[in-house]
Amino acid sequence: MNRPARVALVLAVVAASAAATWHFVSFPSASTWNEEELRLIASLSLDALPDLPPDPSNARGDDPAAAQLGHSLYFDTRLSANGAVACATCHRPELMFTDGLTLAIGAGVGNRHTPSLVGLSHSPWFYWDGRKDSQWAQALAPLEAKHEHAITRSDLARLISSDADYRSAYIDTFGPLPTFDIPAAASPTGDAAERARWSALTAQQRSDIDTLFSNLGKALAAYQRKLMPGAARFDNYAAALAASGSAERDQGDALSAEERRGLQLFIDKGMCVTCHNGPLFTNHEFHNTGVLANPGELPPMARYDGVRSAREDPFNCLGEFSDADPDQCIELRFARDTNDLVGAHKTPTLRNVALTAPYMHGGQISDLAAVMRHYNEAPTSMLSHNEAKPLNLRPPELRALEAFMHTLTAPLATDPRWLRSPE
Amino acid sequence: MNQPISSHFNPFRVLLAYACCIAFSLVASAQAAEADLSGSARGLTLDVYSRLSPLEINRIHSWEVVVSDAEGPVTDAEIIITGGMPEHNHGMPTQPQITAELAPGRYLLEGVRFHMPGLWRMEARITRDGRPITLTIDFEL
Ligand code: HEC
Ligand code: HEC
Ligand SMILES: [Cu+2]
Repeated sequence: MNRPARVALVLAVVAASAAATWHFVSFPSASTWNEEELRLIASLSLDALPDLPPDPSNARGDDPAAAQLGHSLYFDTRLSANGAVACATCHRPELMFTDGLTLAIGAGVGNRHTPSLVGLSHSPWFYWDGRKDSQWAQALAPLEAKHEHAITRSDLARLISSDADYRSAYIDTFGPLPTFDIPAAASPTGDAAERARWSALTAQQRSDIDTLFSNLGKALAAYQRKLMPGAARFDNYAAALAASGSAERDQGDALSAEERRGLQLFIDKGMCVTCHNGPLFTNHEFHNTGVLANPGELPPMARYDGVRSAREDPFNCLGEFSDADPDQCIELRFARDTNDLVGAHKTPTLRNVALTAPYMHGGQISDLAAVMRHYNEAPTSMLSHNEAKPLNLRPPELRALEAFMHTLTAPLATDPRWLRSPE
Repeated sequence: MNQPISSHFNPFRVLLAYACCIAFSLVASAQAAEADLSGSARGLTLDVYSRLSPLEINRIHSWEVVVSDAEGPVTDAEIIITGGMPEHNHGMPTQPQITAELAPGRYLLEGVRFHMPGLWRMEARITRDGRPITLTIDFEL
């Protein structure tokens, strides 16, 4: 070989091994955690989850009879116009209360991806855009939405009044039922005929139906308050680390070396913990992370509009059907509504995330590897700006982050009887 | 190669941090032992007594904010408190407001919530007799 050829060969070998190193070799990390890292790991552990605070707007939120009624309602397809849709159709217990679909399908196809309900009762805001300020007010919306249950509140009132079991369960929990002859298919949010039948009612009759309607929401919320995550491999690791009193990263089989590197990226260089923080891996806040709108949809205003809808919602914390004193409605009264909320969606929990594909508000991203690539690139947002910055992580680092996501999977800490239909 | 020698050393930032340190006393201090946070500027002192103590992320709560000067409590002040994370360039997730003066110079700030671990900076704009004074408090969550 002549000299230039030898040089070229050496250069090629060097370049190839550099590329291979970049793609496949993970650099060793320190053998101990520093104090800040230990603090963050403890803060993510389920042991740090506070008791579920009461919802002052729902006086029946922790009433066992209300949860029982909510359990029946949750699985009952009679709560739909076509008799085929229940909450459990989309929020399926066996998929951590998601549906595995890109966009939810009820009476029709919706425009959002179904989020998990696990641990959600800790959140002050509901929906990807936060347009509801309580879990009971949220539950009312899918019942009447035309692409979901597509039933009306008056038909629900008729069902509860006519079914012997619901009748007695309702009266035991919430008190008397409306005493007038409730018309079929009447609602202020329905089509023209449904709205006309609603307008024909007296103010008192409308208020009686709305009271019953909101009580169904309160029962459904009481049921959902039972759905709490169980301790996963990550939590066992955090517990072992705390118990050992050392900062040693290796805690036996609790987490593999790759998973520990993923944890480190999650809390350090990846900056994931800025938004996915606390024991539920979410701050329940709204952020723009540059996820593209679904094809055919304009980039959504998201929380910017959501907070305004919540303020106008007749079923909000300050409304007539809330059990709270106005001064208890702190989240609603002091909610931020500034321009930086344009395109901001609610941070989802990462507990059990390996079981809840696809991902994001429109199910835009199909698997966890693609989610990690999304964060690595941090594309510019079509509306407003992406709060996440490009990470420039190498492929082995992205794989480690993904591996860490799999350490958050565990059966729920919920009595299994709540996870199946009561019948 | 027109990159700065080291992107870690930013003289402006260091200077700024230094200026902050001289201008304002940070975090709990000796003269107000029980206060969760304190700051002062131009003879005015602000002590924060959080109703959630120690401070935590993701929990909405109220602060009692005590404003005083050399002569004692500062009453009937107009106070606007904002906050954010200087390193992340964003504000608070809520819009807290002073809703009452509980006792002379002791104000109720409702709607306080922090949503990320890291460095937070609160800014209080206190207007008395038409003259605004701004003071800053930094703390780590
Ligand atoms: C057709 C499928 C479907 C049905 C039926 C359905 N949901 Fe949902 N659910 C969704 C979708 C999709 C979203 C997100 C919509 C959005 O954010 O705009 C959602 C959001 C929610 C949320 C808010 C989640 C969060 O992260 O804030 C709760 C709570 C919820 N649903 C509970 C229920 C209950 C209770 C019922 C029954 C009364 C129900 N859902 C019926 C699909 C469904
Ligand atoms: C600026 C806040 C922020 C940061 C930083 C952040 N996330 Fe997220 N994350 C979100 C929000 C908001 C969504 C939902 C976005 C949407 O639907 O448009 C989300 C969605 C996700 C999802 C999909 C969950 C689901 O159920 O759909 C995963 C997985 C995820 N993030 C992991 C990560 C990882 C790993 C990191 C660090 C590399 C990270 N996130 C950093 C806010 C953040
Ligand atoms: Cu921040």
